[in-house]
Amino acid sequence: MPHILIVEDDDHIRSALRLMFESEGFEVDDAASGEVGIAMFTRMASDVAIVDIMLPGMTGFETCKQIREVSDCPIVIVSARDQTTDVVLGLESGADDYVTKPFIPEELLARVKAHLRRRPEKSTNSFTLGELTVIPDEGIVKKSDGSELHLTSTEFRLLTDLASMNGKVLSREDLLERVWGYDYFGDTRLVDVHMRRLRTKIEPDPANPTFLITVRGTGYKLVL
Amino acid sequence: MHQRSLRTRLLVTFGLGSFVLSSLFASLTYFGVLSILINNQQSTDLKQSYENATLVRNTLSTNPSGLTATLNSIEKATNTQALVRTQGQWLSESSGAQPPEISAATISAADKGTVTEQTVRFANQDIFIVGLPIPSVHSEYFEVFSLSSLSNTLQTLLELLSLGTLAISVIGIVGGLWATRRVVKPLREVSEAAALIAQGQLDTRLSVNNADREVQQLSNSFNEMVAQLVERLDRDARFASDVSHELRSPLTTVVTTAAILQQHRADLSPAGQESLDLLTADLAIFQTLVEDLLEMARNDAGATPHVSENVAAIELVNQAARSAARRLGIEAPSIELDASVKNPHIVVDRRRFERVIANLLDNATRYAGGVVAIRVTCTEASFIVNVDDAGTGIAPDERSQVFERFFRGRIAHDRSSVRGTGLGLALVREHIVAFDGSIIVLESPEGGARLQISIPISSEEYA
Repeated sequence: MPHILIVEDDDHIRSALRLMFESEGFEVDDAASGEVGIAMFTRMASDVAIVDIMLPGMTGFETCKQIREVSDCPIVIVSARDQTTDVVLGLESGADDYVTKPFIPEELLARVKAHLRRRPEKSTNSFTLGELTVIPDEGIVKKSDGSELHLTSTEFRLLTDLASMNGKVLSREDLLERVWGYDYFGDTRLVDVHMRRLRTKIEPDPANPTFLITVRGTGYKLVL
Repeated sequence: MHQRSLRTRLLVTFGLGSFVLSSLFASLTYFGVLSILINNQQSTDLKQSYENATLVRNTLSTNPSGLTATLNSIEKATNTQALVRTQGQWLSESSGAQPPEISAATISAADKGTVTEQTVRFANQDIFIVGLPIPSVHSEYFEVFSLSSLSNTLQTLLELLSLGTLAISVIGIVGGLWATRRVVKPLREVSEAAALIAQGQLDTRLSVNNADREVQQLSNSFNEMVAQLVERLDRDARFASDVSHELRSPLTTVVTTAAILQQHRADLSPAGQESLDLLTADLAIFQTLVEDLLEMARNDAGATPHVSENVAAIELVNQAARSAARRLGIEAPSIELDASVKNPHIVVDRRRFERVIANLLDNATRYAGGVVAIRVTCTEASFIVNVDDAGTGIAPDERSQVFERFFRGRIAHDRSSVRGTGLGLALVREHIVAFDGSIIVLESPEGGARLQISIPISSEEYA
């Protein structure tokens, strides 16, 4: 039974979310603040977390960061704010996904389930990116000194999906469908922010990427 | 009505004013000088005539034969013409006939013993004639003075005054230019600043470092007005954002709990199930309405920045149509590309463009029996998307109104079970206009409505 953590300060929304996920067979922990949420998460690591941005005390952004420090679990931000700056900040804090209120309940459920279903693309062989070795079967990236480079599951999936295209371009929409597993209502900001974050991890010079190339007006490709 | 510019009017006023005033002054000067000079000249001439007449009288009474010599010496000394008439006979070296320049009236007046003065124009010369009776020798003495030297002086004066008038008029126009520039410049600055502000450059302000107090006051008032306007816009934007948050939270709860109820639909009585269906259906509309309203309010307040990207248009239309169709629970419409379509790129905000396509599909599905096809074509400059529906078309008189907020067409009234927000197409137009594009209603080849969007093709990457 998947375990979900809901961090949301509005009592009504929190209860409604709890009811919804419980009737879908989730085991639910809920918290009214980031601090309580983090405490719950350290007691019992959830499979997925839903975090509001405007929380009393610790913000949702900070909560995401702290969860990300200890876990790779998918984090979905649910917020009434839909300005691009908020979306970018949220994703840069480590969230995998961003849903604006009032969301369509079926869609939120579908997104959470899609994140939980996600597994690395099956038949991709190991490949190297400069000094890095990506091993999809084990879900890890090794540096030249043998230590492991940490990628979230979303980042890993982005990398392996692009690798499987053998240098062909994938549009943002394709990536949304393949990596996030759900046909989103066009929020391609998700892809751009994740690409940026991925670049800072794998590119020697993130400002002048040599592996993850943006094809203007079209999408992204991975040059091996 | 024909509107002349303030500048032209001021210039004409200055020019004409200085011309009229200086002409008036010049005329007064000229005529004043004229009368003084003539009076002086004539009194001098008269005095001289008396002296000469005395000389003639002495000659006639003592030595009449010496008269010619006397007259010659007078003429030589004074550069005049001296004439004597004795007992009706002209005594001079000439034929003895009456000199033509002296009128009969002057002669007869002198004959009767009256001193006469006369100014006449003879043979293009102004001349002054004095007639003096000399009763003791039964004679009359006439002297003819030329006024031509005076005329030359007056001519020179007239020329100088005309030149002066012209110079003053020119100075008046130049002064007018300077003054109007000074007056019109701040006006132009205000109108330019207002235009910039209307275009959305809200940080535009007028310089308050102006030497003229009135202009400085104008600048200060103007700047204050703009500051208040900006503050008000900010407040509106904040309000829209606050309202947005306050509406979203309860709506989220309601929508989510309704969804949970739907999951437990089977546990409800038939009446409960029917109520739940009504609730769910209207909640969906309410949710769309709130989202449309919020988007519109933020557009009005200029609160949501446009994120403009140069994107491949066909791919964007494809993706937007697929995604919208899935949301609406309909089959993805077929997209037909004209031969003219290669790989156009357009500069748009993706999220808003997808919203446009979604609203058009939603509209067609809700009111017109669905989308027949999305037909894409290109002109030299525009990327054109036609969304053709399966309805009966939109009456020509309603075509421009469908983009009004909360417009309800006749079809919508006929089909009262169909509910929409009345904002979908209005929002579509606002977004399209923001992309520098346009949207119109036409008729599709199948007789339904065709909603036609055209968006400028960005010049780069058009291959």
